[in-house]
Order: sequence, then C-alpha cells, then structure tokens
Amino acid sequence: MLDGAAVNRTTLILVAIGVAAGILSGLFGVGGGILMVPAMVLLAGFAQQRAQATSLAAIVPIAAVGALIFGRADNVDLLAAAILVAGSLLGVQAGAWLMHRTSDERLSTIFGIFLAAVAVTLLLP
Amino acid sequence: MGPPDVPTVVGLASIGLAAGFLAGLLGVGGGVVLVPGMVLLLGFDQHVAQGTSLLVVIPAALSGSWSHRRSGRLVLRDAFLLAVGGIAGAVGGSLFALSLDDGLLRRLFGLFLLAIALRILVAKGARRGPGTPQPGPSG
Repeated sequence: MLDGAAVNRTTLILVAIGVAAGILSGLFGVGGGILMVPAMVLLAGFAQQRAQATSLAAIVPIAAVGALIFGRADNVDLLAAAILVAGSLLGVQAGAWLMHRTSDERLSTIFGIFLAAVAVTLLLP
Repeated sequence: MGPPDVPTVVGLASIGLAAGFLAGLLGVGGGVVLVPGMVLLLGFDQHVAQGTSLLVVIPAALSGSWSHRRSGRLVLRDAFLLAVGGIAGAVGGSLFALSLDDGLLRRLFGLFLLAIALRILVAKGARRGPGTPQPGPSG
C-alpha cells in the first residue's frame, strides 16, 4: 500500500505544478511542458519518461482552454493553424527519426543560442 | 488571415516543420518556435501568434500521449491532476495576456524566451558531470 500522506503530497504538488504551467501556457501561448517536465522530475520524483508522458497528456486540455479563450477574443488564425499543424506533423517525424541517430548535446547548445538571439530580437523596440 | 499568399503559406509550413523537427529531436520547440516564427517572420500580432500556437500544439500532444498510453508509460490520474490545476491557471493566464498591450506581451514573451534559452544552455552544462556515460567507439 502507498503511504497516504505521500500520495496526498504528490497530489498537491501535481495540482500546483499544473496551476503554474497553466498560467505560463495561457500567458505565452506555449504548452507548458518546459515547466511541467522538470518540475515533476525535481518536485514529485518522477522519472524523465514518465514526466514527459504525463506532461504531454496534460498539455491537451490546458492548451485547449487557452485556445478557446484566445479564439473568443478573435486571436486564433484557423487557416494558419492548419498549415502549421501539417508542417509540424512532418517535422516531428523527421526530428524523432534523427534523435535516435545523433547526440543532442551540440544541437541543444545551438538551439539555446538561437533562442537567446530570437529573444533579444523580440525585446528590441 | 484572408486567402493567404504563397510566401505566407510557405512561411507557415516551414515554421511548423522547424517547430515539429525540434520538438521531435530535443523535446522542446513547440510554442517557443511557433510564436516568434509567426511574429518575426510573418508579422503576426503577438496575441494572434500565441492563440494560434495554443491550437497547433494540441494535435502533437494528443498523438504523443496516445503512443505513451499504449506503451503504458502514461498514468492518467497524474495527467488529470495536472490538468485540474492547469485549466485554472490557463484561464487566469489567458485572460491576463488578453488584457495586455500587444507590444508589452511581445516583450514579456522575449524575457520568457531568454529564460528558456539560459535554462537549456545551463542544463546542458550540468549534464556533463563526472558520472556521465560517454558513448563508446562502438556506439
């Protein structure tokens, strides 16, 4: 049997992580996995794979709520979304295929530097 | 978006391709690529880019969770608990974002992106600890 107190603690931690990820998702238009995965590993003691699987499933309702609220305010472009989805479904297959064949160390660095450059561009007036 | 011109369609397809590719490869790269791609390359409003990005991440997350569920890695109760908190947070976050001026939201997003960039770069350094197994010559 699982220890009741530990289960309750995990429950509270998961709900709290959800709240934080939901705020981030609604505020910035992202899924929130970037917060949920490390938070589940560090705070709830989940293994990386379990955290990633759980995060993906939680992104579905979280992003759906945000998309609905933005959509009601006329801030969703349905046609653009359809084209982006088509492109991303192709891209995700290629990326997953390549992941098994390469080390992601250097790619992570390049991606991090690239994101920093994009961030600076966005911050410029 | 009205009837889109060819450059916009090509641009959107490329941004989607890049976002999907990085998500598949690094596990990061959905919204953090989609939103700046739409804003900087195609001139979308920050709000429209974010709302559209939210819709776009759903199919990929659905298909990923489906395969995790089939292979038994996904505990639905855990995801449900995250979603309970997440839905409440998403309502608050979305309404707050909609109340902000487009330029201000864009700058806030820039700060958020900068934090993610630093996290990726720092996490990469931390992984290279003394106990990290190195790929052997046969690997």
